[in-house]
Amino acid sequence: MSNIKDENLILPRLEEEPNSDLRVGVFICRCGGNISDVIDIRKVKTSLNATVVEEFENLCSLNGRKIIRDSIVSENLDRVVIAACSPISHEKTFQDYIQPLNPYLMDMANLREHCSWIHDDNPEKATEKAIVLINASIEKVKQSNAVDPILCRTPDNVAIVGGGISGMSAALSLAKQGMHVDLIEKSATIGGNMAKIGKVFSPVKIAEECGLCLLNPILNEVVWNKNINILTNSKVLKCDRRGGNFSLLVESSPRYVDSEKCISCGKCAEACEVEVADSWNDGLSTRKAIYKPFSQAYPDSYVIDMENCDKCSECVKACPMNAIKLRGEKEMVPLNTGSVILATGHKLFDPKLRPEYGYGRFENVITQSELGRIMGVNGPTRGKLQKLSNGEVPKRIVMIQCVGSRDEKPDGHKYCSKVCCMVALKNANIIKNKYPDTDVVICYTDVRTPGMYEKYYKHSQQSGIRLIRGRPGEVAKNGENLIVRTEDTLQKDFIEIETDMVVLSTALEPSEGTKEIAEIMDVGVTEDFFIKESHPKIKPVTTDVKGAYVCGTAQDPKDITESIMQSTAAAAKVSEMIHNGIEIEPFIAEIDQEQCNLCGNCISTCKYKALSVKDDLMYIDPMSCSGCGKCLTVCDKNAININGNIDEKIFGTIYGMLKDKKKDDRRIIVFLDSIGYTAADNIGVNRLNFPESIYIIKVHSVNRVMPKHIIYALQNGADGVFIGEYPGDLMYDEVEKKMETIKEKISTNNMNPERLGFSHVYIPYFRGLADKFIAFDEKISSLED
Amino acid sequence: MDLKLNEDPLNLANTILKDIKSSENLGLLRCVQCGMCTSSCPGAMHSNFNPRDMIEKILEGDETVIEEEDIWNCFYCYTCHSICPVGNSACEVNQILRQFAISKGTANKKIQPFLEFGDIFLSMALGGIPSIFFPEMREDIGEDWWEFKMNLDNVRNKLDLGSYIPPQESIDEVNKLLINSGFEERIEAIRNNKKP
Amino acid sequence: MKQIPDKNITLFKSCLVSTEYPGIESSTKYVFDKTGIDYLVDERQTCCTGLGHYSDVFDQFSTTIIGARNFYLASDNNRKNMVMLCATCYAINKKVANILNKKDETREEVNEIFDKSDLSNMKYEKGSIDSTENIFHVVDILFNKKKEIAKNIKYDFSNFKIATHHGCHYCKVHYNDTIGGIRDPNIIDELVNACGASTIGWYDFKRTTCGAGFRQRFVNKDLSMDVTYDKLKALKNDDVEILVHLCPNCHVQFDRYQNYISNDKNDEFKTIHLNIAQFIALAMGADPYKVVGIQTHTVPVEDIVNKLETLPEYKEINEENKIGEENV
Repeated sequence: MSNIKDENLILPRLEEEPNSDLRVGVFICRCGGNISDVIDIRKVKTSLNATVVEEFENLCSLNGRKIIRDSIVSENLDRVVIAACSPISHEKTFQDYIQPLNPYLMDMANLREHCSWIHDDNPEKATEKAIVLINASIEKVKQSNAVDPILCRTPDNVAIVGGGISGMSAALSLAKQGMHVDLIEKSATIGGNMAKIGKVFSPVKIAEECGLCLLNPILNEVVWNKNINILTNSKVLKCDRRGGNFSLLVESSPRYVDSEKCISCGKCAEACEVEVADSWNDGLSTRKAIYKPFSQAYPDSYVIDMENCDKCSECVKACPMNAIKLRGEKEMVPLNTGSVILATGHKLFDPKLRPEYGYGRFENVITQSELGRIMGVNGPTRGKLQKLSNGEVPKRIVMIQCVGSRDEKPDGHKYCSKVCCMVALKNANIIKNKYPDTDVVICYTDVRTPGMYEKYYKHSQQSGIRLIRGRPGEVAKNGENLIVRTEDTLQKDFIEIETDMVVLSTALEPSEGTKEIAEIMDVGVTEDFFIKESHPKIKPVTTDVKGAYVCGTAQDPKDITESIMQSTAAAAKVSEMIHNGIEIEPFIAEIDQEQCNLCGNCISTCKYKALSVKDDLMYIDPMSCSGCGKCLTVCDKNAININGNIDEKIFGTIYGMLKDKKKDDRRIIVFLDSIGYTAADNIGVNRLNFPESIYIIKVHSVNRVMPKHIIYALQNGADGVFIGEYPGDLMYDEVEKKMETIKEKISTNNMNPERLGFSHVYIPYFRGLADKFIAFDEKISSLED
Repeated sequence: MDLKLNEDPLNLANTILKDIKSSENLGLLRCVQCGMCTSSCPGAMHSNFNPRDMIEKILEGDETVIEEEDIWNCFYCYTCHSICPVGNSACEVNQILRQFAISKGTANKKIQPFLEFGDIFLSMALGGIPSIFFPEMREDIGEDWWEFKMNLDNVRNKLDLGSYIPPQESIDEVNKLLINSGFEERIEAIRNNKKP
Repeated sequence: MKQIPDKNITLFKSCLVSTEYPGIESSTKYVFDKTGIDYLVDERQTCCTGLGHYSDVFDQFSTTIIGARNFYLASDNNRKNMVMLCATCYAINKKVANILNKKDETREEVNEIFDKSDLSNMKYEKGSIDSTENIFHVVDILFNKKKEIAKNIKYDFSNFKIATHHGCHYCKVHYNDTIGGIRDPNIIDELVNACGASTIGWYDFKRTTCGAGFRQRFVNKDLSMDVTYDKLKALKNDDVEILVHLCPNCHVQFDRYQNYISNDKNDEFKTIHLNIAQFIALAMGADPYKVVGIQTHTVPVEDIVNKLETLPEYKEINEENKIGEENV
C-alpha cells in the first residue's frame, strides 16, 4: 500500500464539524436471520458512535415502525440510519417510518444485498464491513438537510398543432375529459390527409370503406365540441416554455370570407376567373382562387387563396351574403397552455427524385396518392379510372413499391414507410373490383402486411392481383405505352413489362410543418427528421421537451389506426400531468441569480433542455431538470447549486467509509447509478461473491460524482474508485468522456490514474458486474505506484 | 445448396468485405435481393449476367461463382453501385471476384489479351488501347482512323501539345515501383498461364 | 456542394485523350485560358492505369502506388487541385485517395514500396490529397465558370438538337461528389445551356453506359455494341444531331463505332460527338483544327461547324470593339 492514509482525515470545506452535536439513531434489522446469521450484530452495536443503536427482527414491519418512531420522539433524534436491506427495496418504506422527521434525513446502509449475502462465508469480514457501511451512512445523514419534494401542476389547457386525424383524435379525447384544446391548423380546413384518401382498408371486414364517411363524424364532433377552439390558416411562430407552461405565438391569416355569414352557395367561385391547381386533388384538377377545399371541409365556408387572387372583386359582387372582404390583416394570437401535442403529420416523397421512373415526364406515371384521388368519387374523374393521357381505362397498371423508402441513396429514406404495401393492395383491390379486365401488377421487394393485414393480402391475391418480386430499374416510353424494366427475381430473369399506367408508391416523410415546429419548439428529431420520442420503447409519445408530446405521422410513418391510437396515448399523457401533477425529487439545480451573468453555457450543455432565459433571468424548469449536475461544471460564476447538499453528502459517505481504515485494509469505493445499484443488489440476491474491499455508494447520476470527490477519496485512503453507469442514460457519453480528464487530474495529483475504473452496467448482467469487481480488485492489489 | 452445421456461408462475403477494393461500409451483407441491380444492368439486359444472382451466391458461400463465365459480362458501369438501395455495389464486388479468379489462376485466358496494358506501362509509363486490338479496330473503324494514328505526333503538334510520353526518369520510377509491387511478376505469371 | 477551385490546378493528362482525341486537351486549355483558370500540366505525370485497371490487369494495390506517385507530383508542384479530363481517371484517383487516407495498412504497404524503390520522397502522408476536396473533373471546374463561359460565346448552337451522355465514372462511382444529378445527370446539359443552347434533357437510356465496358469492346464486341445500339436508337428517335460527352472512352465508343454499328445493324446514325470542352471551345470561336482537333474524329464534325452562325449580339460587340480574329 503506497498511498498512506492521511492521519488527520477531515471532511473538505468543513472547517469545523457543525453537525457534530446532531443526534443520530441507528436501527439495525436482523432480517429474520438474513443479516444476523452472518453479521455479529452485538459487535456492530458496540463499535458505533451514535446517540441510539437499536436492533430488531423485522424493521420493515409495523412493529419496526413503532420502534423507530418511539425512539425518534423519546430520544429527540435529528437523523436516522437504517441498517437493513437495499434502499431499492425499502427506501420509501423507511422514509415514511421516520415521520415526523423529514424523509431526506434518513439513509440506509445495505447490510443484506451488499454484505451478509455476499460475504456469508466470512462472518468476521462481513461484520467489519457492516460497521463501515453504517459509519458511511451516519456521516452521510449528518450532511443531510430537510428538503421537500416539489409538486408541479400544469394548467388544464392544451395546444394541438395539426388538424389531421391525429390532432383531431387527441383533441377529442382531451376535450371529452374536460380540458380546453386549441387546435391549430395551417391550411384552410381541418381534416388533413385522411380527407383525400378516398377509401380506407379494413383488415377485419376484408373490404374497403369510405374514408370520408369515417372521418366526417370525427370532424363534426371536433367542430361541435365546446372545449375545442379551432384555428385554421394558422401557424405557430414562437414558443417559450416554463415549467409546464407554454407561451405560444400563433399567426392566423385572414380567410377573407366571413365563416359566420358564408352559406357555401359557391356563387363566388363561379364568378372567379383565376384557375389554380387543386392540391386536394394532388393537382389533377383545378379550383378557383376563392374555393372550399372539399365539401365537408370545416369551417364550412369558402376561403380566398390570396397568393393567387387578382383582386378583381367579382366574388365580392357575386356573394349574396355580403361575406367577402378583400382586405384583411394577419392576426397574432398568444396562447398559454400547459401542454402541447405535435400532430403535424407527413408529406409524400417527391417521385422526381427518382427520375428513372419517369414521373413528370410521362403523363401515365402517377403516384398512389393521385390514384387515390382518381378512384375517389369526389375526385377529378368522379371515381372513374382513366389514363391521364387520353381518358381511357388502362389495360394494365404496374405499381412500383418502395419509391424513396428502404433506400439509402441520396434523397432516399432508409426506413420502410410501413403503409405502402397496404395502400397498393387496397388500390389494386378497388381497381380489380370495378375493372376486372385491368391487369394489376405490383413490383415489390417484400410484402409487409403484419398481423390481420395478411388476410387482406391473401384476399387481394384471390382477386387476381399479380405480384412480381423485383425492384424496377426504370420506366421508359414505348410508343403510346410504357415499359417497366425489372428483374423478376423469383424467375431470375430480366424482363420488360409493357403497360399503359405506372403507379409509384412513394415514401412518407416528415412534413415541412413537422420540421418547422420541431425547430420552433426545440424538440429533438430523429436522423430522418421525424419528431423523436424520448425513449422509443418505454416512453412513447413523450418528447425530450417536458410537456410536449407527439402523435401520428409526425413521429414516424404509420396508418390511420395507429395514428389514432397514438393520439389517444398522447392525450392520456397530457391528462396524467394535468390531473395529478408531478411530484419531483427536490435534488435539482437552482440558480443564484446574483451570481449568474446569463452566459448561457448551461443552456447549451443541458441534455434535458431544462434551462432557459426568461425576463433576463436564468430559469431552471423543475420538471425537466434531472439534477445531473452537468451545468455546474460549465458555470464560470459558480452560480448553480444542486439542492439538498449532494456534494457534502458524497464527501460525508466517503469520509465515513475511510475514517477507520487500517493499514493493511483495501477499500475500493464504487459509485453506481440506480441501474448499477440494482445490478449489484442482484449479485447478493443470487448469493454470488465480490471482494470485501468493494464499498458501494448509490448516486442519483454518476455525473454528480465530481473529480474532487474522486481525488478526495484517493488522497484519503481509498485504494481505487470504480464508476458504473447504464449506457442508456442520457449522460453516459459525457461521463465516459469525463473519465479521461479525471484520470489526468489524478496524475497531476501524483497518483496512479489506473486506480480509477469505469464500466457500463446493465441490470441482468450482474454476474458480469461481479466479475468486474473481482478483476478491478485484483488489478488494484497488483498496482505499485 | 445444403448447409452443414459447421459451415459458415458468410466466409466468402467477409473476405470480399476485407478486400483492398471494398468501399467503406459496403452493404454486401445488407442485400435483400430486391433485384434493382439487375433491373438496371446493361449486362443483364443483353446477356445471362445477373448481378443479384451473383450476390445471392456470394451470400450463400457458393464459391463456384468465382469461376462463372457470366461475371465477365459486367461493364463496370457502376449503375448498380449508384442506385443500390442498401449501399451494396455488385460492380465493385464483381471486380473483387475477378481478382479472386486471377489469384486462383483460373482467369489467365481472360486477362491475357489485355496484358499489353501492363507491358506499355512498364516500358513507357503509358496507358491507351493495346496495339493487339489495332488490326480489328482498323477494319471496324476505317482507314481514316488508322491514318490519324500514324500521324498522331503531327496532329498533336498542330494542336500545340507536347509529347505525351513521360520523361525517361519518370518511366524508370514507375518501372521500379511496379516491379517492387509485384505487378510485373503478376503479369508474367498470367502470360505463362501460372497462378500469380 | 463541394468547393470548386479555379487556381493551383494540376490538369491531369488522360491516355485516351492524348492518343485518340488530343483536341479535348487543347480545347480544355483554350476554355480554361478564356475563363481565367490557373493550371499546369506536369509531363512527369503518368496514366492513372484506368483502362488496364478495369480490364483487371492492374490490381488495386499497383493502381494505388501509381496514384500515390501522381499525388506526390501534384503536391510537389503545390497544385493539389487535380482536374481530370477523363471520367475514369476521376473515379480511379478518387478511389486511390480514399484507400490511401482510410486504409492505414495499405498506405503503409504503399510507402514501403516507395522506400524499397529509393523514392522515399514520394511517400504518401495520410490526408494530403482529399478525394472530395482535391480531385475534380473538368466539368466541375467549368460548372463554376458558367458566367464566364456565357460571356465568351461567339457561335450559336441553339438550332441544333443536342443531347448529353454523362457516362459512368463521373456520375455513378463517387456519387456524393457528383454535381448536377446522379440518377438524371445534368451537369453537361447545364454547361450547354451556359453556351446559349438547350438540350433535349432526358432520353431513354440517358444514364446507361456507352457500352465500352472496358474488356467488352475488345473481347465481347457483340454485347458491347448491343448496349451502344440501344443508346443510338434512343438518340435517333429524338433526332439528336450532337451528343456531348465528358469521357474520352465513351467518345471512342460512339464516334469510332457509330458507323460500324450502322453497317452491322443496317440502321443509319448521323449524330456527331463532341466533348463538352470541345463544344464550349467551338462555341467560343476556337479553331476547329488547331484547337478543337476535329480532324481526329471519325464521324465528321465539319457539317456542324459549317452551319454555325455568329451570335447577333456577338456581331455587335465584335464590330464595336474589334475583338476576335479566329475564323471557323
